Amino acid sequence: MSILANKDTRAVIIGGIAGLNAAKRMAQFDFLVNRPLTVQAFVYPPEEGQHKEIYRGGELNNVTVYGSLENALAENPQINTALIYIGASRAYQSAKEALDVKGIKLVTMITEGVPEKDAKALRKYALEQGKIFNGPSSIGIMTAGECRLGVIGGEFKNLKLCNLYRPGSFGVITKSGGLSNEAMWLCAQNGDGITSAVAIGGDAYPGTDFVTYLQMFENDPETKAVVIIGEVGGTLEEEAAEWYGREKRRIKLIASIGGTCQDVLPQGMKFGHAGAKEGKKGLGSARSKINALREAGALVPDTFGGLSKAIKQVYLELQATGIIKQEPELDEKLLPVLPPSVQEVMKQGEVIVEPLIRTTISDDRGEEPRYVGYAASELCEKGYGIEDVIGLLWNKKLPSKEESEIIKRIIMISADHGPAVSGAFGSIIAACAGIDLPQAVSAGMTMIGPRFGGAVTNAGKYFKYGVKEYPNDIPGFLNWMKQNVGPVPGIGHRVKSVKNPDKRVKYLVEYVTNQTTLHTPCLNYALEVEKVTTAKKDNLILNVDGTIGCILVDLDFPEYSLNGFFVLARTIGMIGHWIDQNNQNARLIRLYDYLINYAVKEEREVPEKK
Amino acid sequence: MAKILEGPAMKLFNKWGIPVPNYVVIMDPDRLAQLGEANKWLRESKLVVKAHEAIGGRFKLGLVKLGLNLDGALEAAKEMIGREIGTSVVRQVIVAEMLDHDEEYYLSIAGNRDGSELLLSNKGGVDIEENWDTVKRLFIPLDETPSIERITESAIEAGFIGEIAERVAKIASRLILCFDNEDAQSIEINPLVIRKSDMRFAALDAVMNVDWDARFRHADWDFKPVSEIGRPFTEAEQQIMDIDARIKGSVKLVEVPGGDIALLTAGGGASVFYSDAVVARGGSIANYAEYSGDPPDWAVEALTETICKLPHIRHIIVGGAIANFTDVKATFSGIINGFRASKSKGYLENVKIWVRRGGPNENQGLAAMKKLQEEGFDIHVYDRSMPMTDIVDLALNS
Repeated sequence: MSILANKDTRAVIIGGIAGLNAAKRMAQFDFLVNRPLTVQAFVYPPEEGQHKEIYRGGELNNVTVYGSLENALAENPQINTALIYIGASRAYQSAKEALDVKGIKLVTMITEGVPEKDAKALRKYALEQGKIFNGPSSIGIMTAGECRLGVIGGEFKNLKLCNLYRPGSFGVITKSGGLSNEAMWLCAQNGDGITSAVAIGGDAYPGTDFVTYLQMFENDPETKAVVIIGEVGGTLEEEAAEWYGREKRRIKLIASIGGTCQDVLPQGMKFGHAGAKEGKKGLGSARSKINALREAGALVPDTFGGLSKAIKQVYLELQATGIIKQEPELDEKLLPVLPPSVQEVMKQGEVIVEPLIRTTISDDRGEEPRYVGYAASELCEKGYGIEDVIGLLWNKKLPSKEESEIIKRIIMISADHGPAVSGAFGSIIAACAGIDLPQAVSAGMTMIGPRFGGAVTNAGKYFKYGVKEYPNDIPGFLNWMKQNVGPVPGIGHRVKSVKNPDKRVKYLVEYVTNQTTLHTPCLNYALEVEKVTTAKKDNLILNVDGTIGCILVDLDFPEYSLNGFFVLARTIGMIGHWIDQNNQNARLIRLYDYLINYAVKEEREVPEKK
Repeated sequence: MAKILEGPAMKLFNKWGIPVPNYVVIMDPDRLAQLGEANKWLRESKLVVKAHEAIGGRFKLGLVKLGLNLDGALEAAKEMIGREIGTSVVRQVIVAEMLDHDEEYYLSIAGNRDGSELLLSNKGGVDIEENWDTVKRLFIPLDETPSIERITESAIEAGFIGEIAERVAKIASRLILCFDNEDAQSIEINPLVIRKSDMRFAALDAVMNVDWDARFRHADWDFKPVSEIGRPFTEAEQQIMDIDARIKGSVKLVEVPGGDIALLTAGGGASVFYSDAVVARGGSIANYAEYSGDPPDWAVEALTETICKLPHIRHIIVGGAIANFTDVKATFSGIINGFRASKSKGYLENVKIWVRRGGPNENQGLAAMKKLQEEGFDIHVYDRSMPMTDIVDLALNS
């Protein structure tokens, strides 16, 4: 038996992320006591239509988020309890709506900072409907072995330590949320645990009171004693004392009241919960509450620490009189164990997970990224540049000063080649069509291939092959290429020729050979090849792809990385073209008819479909 | 509870048609001279000057001056502005018209669980406490507004007669409106005065508490509540309040001068019980502190450093119940960092630290705390099996 929450409780949570966290904790309890999910639906208009993933043990459930309570109830008519986790400014409306639902008998609110006027109105409204409005500022309601509403009870381990998987004999009512958990622990440690525990919240005007719940516990035969934890302010504890003293009660009452320290504090000094404020002439002081409770026959220890002994004393008395029968303790080993997450198990080294991917270049697990072990900020501080980062991430090596200067120059001279080439033109067409930067640049990027910019890799690859296999035999290399590959990648240009050389090539070759100490076997080989090919045809010169490819091979970059230099360099240009078109608010473009040769069929009738 | 100063209260009275005397709030005496040129009442009426600050016992401190002309008021304002009273400074004064009057009445309203209660007496003024049995009470249920006839009846029962009873009832009905619509928790007008020659009424002094949690629906609340602890906030308290306003969860601090047991406790309920336990065992607390709702570790660290600086402390009680969702490991790491920083700055000499806590990740949190012993801290760490406030007994018996 229990009060307020039980096996049949089915709840809706009104609110966002805090509600979701509560639902996850509640599902852990559901798993512990092997009951169906308590939370059947969420109501949170900003996330209407989403599904929240809730694990009950290892079982994954998807709980729907509704835009309105009405919709949630229409699809989940079994809901009989509402938990309010929404902000203070909307809490009143949400709770009132919940109280208006015929099937909802209990509304409990965790929201803090709810205006007093709203809380008072909700209390009255609930009373008129014969329903319970618990809170605001309530951590929740727990019924051992049956139901958990809210995060009351804390983490899974604590649920077991407090014996919450099975009913005991003590009821708990507190104002404070933290102390509800403490009280449940005290009942488990010094007695046989709880039947139900309720936190009513520490606001000035909570929706319910000690008396309401004391009466419920009195009517619950399984509850033999009740622990209440109150505090200075208001008169709920005095009313509890009055209720307890009015007639002979079946339940034993143990109480602790906070706030006696205020007797000796400087005048006017107040602290604690919103409701913990003494009234005029000592009304609602902790002392008056303690006295009233003691006079009514409740056991009130002089400090909170004394509660342990008090509970133990009552427990032993109730055992001695046979009111509580000692039941054999469940073997804790039989209780379910919460399946840990993969991360948790891995931390303990109890499971091996085969990694999905492997990286050898970059580590983001620390405070900042590390490239092949070097912290990015340290590289900046020590004067390294983007060329060095390329060396690290593409080739796992820090280039020398000379090498990085070459890389830098390669990128600088390849960054753009005007709007007419395939890549830039592709980006421009996309920009003119109103396409965003990443997609427009990708449009240009898709142009990079065998005919445009994509020959760097193959040029590097085959010249490297030539150096190795036909070191002093250019005709042999060319012959092999002709038979196995076709035209030599990196050789030949559409417009440039021996008489009209590509200045970029001239510049790069001159720079690398004359101004650096770089050993360039591959570039030298390619220049020898060029001598042979240009003798055959004027425009079979070493083009810029070939030059770059060879230099990069000489810099010891893997040959399959070489196109990356063109891709990287040209990205700069394509982004530039996109920005340029955007700045001008360029209009949509299309080809003129006269630029198209319509080599098409004459207009004709569509035949009937066969 | 949020007590507001007289100026903002007068402004709200004005809004709801409760008669108030002419008044101005000033920070600079020169401004009063300028206002004097613009306002006839300042030149022609008797004036009262009061420090517009949350300072108790203003009269005795010479922070209320009565029966002045404009020149006298200027003098008084110059004298008061800038005066230091304890840790606070007078920055503003309120200058109001001192209405010559024939009688002083008492009118107040305060909320309770089921609604509110209106109190009326025709024997207001400084002697109201002595005349408390003359006070007539009218209970007003939630969401109900008593008719003017009903209020007049109460006024007559309170001893008001004829036209005065009607006028007092009218003012009371406006007070009820103000109370309801401004999310007030209590309003006390004492005295409400009357000048019978022209039947002019005015609320000469007012104490008003508003529900600060309701501020989201009061766009015109341009004031801040004054300290709730009976004195102005100290610098350290103000700093912690500033942090509190920025974070998820909360951190709180109230300094209690003269105490030697510092509290660094968790939870709104448990923290009060720790204070009680110290007092019950004959100790004296140096502060009240509270962190709750899983605040970020840096906020707890700041609270810790502030507490370590409290003068003359011999013990620090790091207490708390078994948390529901506040992460013990994370909040303790804030406390540990705070302890280390304080120690390196020379604090915590001869200070014993007592720890008791439970909750999410309690084992890791308590183990980390216990390791501080190796760094030379005089720290005693207990888990959930130690009754919550018994570490206070241990501290005081050590």
